[in-house]
Amino acid sequence: MNAFDPKNTTVIICCAGMGTRLGIGTTKALVDICGKPLIIRLLENLHEYDDIRIVVGFQAERLIHVVTEFRKDIMFAFNYDYETTGVADSLRKALVGVREYVISLDGDTLENPEDFTAFLACKNECLGISPITSAEPVMAAVEDGSVVNLSKKSGNYQWSGIVKIRADKLKGTSCHVYDVLNEVLPLPAFNMRTREIDTPDDYDRAIEWFENGMMG
Amino acid sequence: MSDYIFLFDMDSTITRKEVLPEIAQKINKLEEMRQLTEATMRGEIPFKTSFLRRVKILSDISVREVNDIVADIPLNESIAEFIRENKDRCYVLTGNIDVWISGLMKKLGMENHTYCSKAEVVNDRISKVISVVDKELMVKQFVQPLVAIGDGDNDSGMVRMADIGIGFGGVRPIAPSLLRSSDFAFYDDKRCTDFLWKLL
Repeated sequence: MNAFDPKNTTVIICCAGMGTRLGIGTTKALVDICGKPLIIRLLENLHEYDDIRIVVGFQAERLIHVVTEFRKDIMFAFNYDYETTGVADSLRKALVGVREYVISLDGDTLENPEDFTAFLACKNECLGISPITSAEPVMAAVEDGSVVNLSKKSGNYQWSGIVKIRADKLKGTSCHVYDVLNEVLPLPAFNMRTREIDTPDDYDRAIEWFENGMMG
Repeated sequence: MSDYIFLFDMDSTITRKEVLPEIAQKINKLEEMRQLTEATMRGEIPFKTSFLRRVKILSDISVREVNDIVADIPLNESIAEFIRENKDRCYVLTGNIDVWISGLMKKLGMENHTYCSKAEVVNDRISKVISVVDKELMVKQFVQPLVAIGDGDNDSGMVRMADIGIGFGGVRPIAPSLLRSSDFAFYDDKRCTDFLWKLL
């Protein structure tokens, strides 16, 4: 079996946080993207995968209800300490009994479906990067096609939380996924068009981007 | 290989139907039974009180007949298969009564791996309940690491105390208290079982 075949890959989507900066009292995975919740837009691109795990915390029951109406064969992992822990803590909750390879996504990011399909088809480890568009991005320092560092301080691209990686490389104990990954960089960069939704401005831009066919 | 011992609730986790309402239907006491069962699942009536009331509703029916009904109740097949294939490491913890469920437990290979409530039988009728199981107390007796799976309010204690606690919502909604005590939740029995196989 090839690396990152759907049968040896676990997909983890972290959706535990409160989305405080967006300020609409809804976990970000449930924000409306032109008639459908963001999490459903994500799951529509993942129909070939049979080990999908969603980490939930804030509004867990509401999120579970929306997801199971769409698809029942999802594993939910709980991080009820979402107010005091980071996304990496959520990710670790979902690593129990994980397959050899992991694709990890943030439940607050929209991907261009064409780019995302190419990302899923990629047979090697990689980090999804894009030009900087968010108000408060995690930045990726990219050199010769590889991501060499991730931080909130400097970088020439944005990393929107998307990564394909061997599961055993996710053992770091930091509360930030970017610091867990910093321990195993460099990794190949994969260019993809994405929009992360952290703030009301991010949301407006993401909707405009979506309505215009998710180009650029 | 792990050391995990797997503890299963029976009603709506192994079975695809709730057992007591299924029996009540046979003697036209379904509505009475359903109201009590729903309130218990939601945690509105203590399990022990509710269970004794529910057994009373069913006191007129032949124990042998109930045992046959329970033995034929539809199962979540992939969970049942996991139990049959990993008998040594699986246990059933159920509030249900020994004399009603013995046929089903035998079918699953769990006849010596069941913690349940007990009753005395006179003339093929339950004359009195001897004990009502407390799953949380039962769990405290295990010394090996535990994986516990259930769906109701009375599973919350065992799921919370397990090393890996799982809510199973494939048959009915997971009780809110249990959801809050779980590490993981599943709504599809095959997906749940795939995960259990990874924990062996």
